[in-house]
Amino acid sequence: MSNKSKKLTVGGNDGSQSKLSKQRAHDSQDYSAFKVVLFYCSLIVFLPVVTFFALKGFLLERFFTMSDMKVNIGSAVGAVAALHIALGVYIYRAYFGGSKTSQFKED
Amino acid sequence: MSSASNDNPIYGPFFGVMGAASAIIFSALGAAYGTAKSGTGIAAMSVMRPELIMKSIIPVVMAGIIAIYGLVVAVLIAGQLDLPANYTLYKGFIHLGAGLSVGFSGLAAGFAIGIVGDAGVRGTAQQPRLFVGMILILIFAEVLGLYGLIVAIYLYTK
Repeated sequence: MSNKSKKLTVGGNDGSQSKLSKQRAHDSQDYSAFKVVLFYCSLIVFLPVVTFFALKGFLLERFFTMSDMKVNIGSAVGAVAALHIALGVYIYRAYFGGSKTSQFKED
Repeated sequence: MSSASNDNPIYGPFFGVMGAASAIIFSALGAAYGTAKSGTGIAAMSVMRPELIMKSIIPVVMAGIIAIYGLVVAVLIAGQLDLPANYTLYKGFIHLGAGLSVGFSGLAAGFAIGIVGDAGVRGTAQQPRLFVGMILILIFAEVLGLYGLIVAIYLYTK
């Protein structure tokens, strides 16, 4: 009887340990996915704003002969272009990187 | 003096201010609808397929970009606002048109992204091949907002 109970407790320990490790693997996977998504979302939100003001200051400083209107339009177009490049990189990563993580999960 | 006051009335900047405000207000309205509508789809889908979260965030990101279009135009218009003496009525009309064009285009694009994102994300959970189609439809919805931005910048240069 004591043997049985021992076996049961050992089996229970094994189960809980495997469950725990599985849970940890899930957590680390979730954490890495969260990091990637957070990085790209902050890139998409902040990159155009930074590009707009950086381009505005840089263009104003470098090409001083340009009119204020042209500087504004150039920096706006540059910000929108940077935004779309960041979005394209995110979609590429989601399309090709997302399938990779699911393959890892299957392994 | 009288012609100057006719060209530069006291209410001239009102139109420019309304243009800047409507650019960001309507774009944010569309972006909020797109985020909320596709967010409910993501929440429903992630219960069964949490590994698809990276792919399913795309409609939310695209809805956020609509608001950035409005932000860019609003900042451009706000940079040109001035006292009535230096701001013609014509400029005010131009800025109102620019703000309305990007605002309503963004509203329409946000509605489209929300509806397509909701249905597309739910469908992608059951048939992953749908993902490419969903991205294409989302890009065509996003381009509607981009057209509004192009027209607004073109108006702004007048």
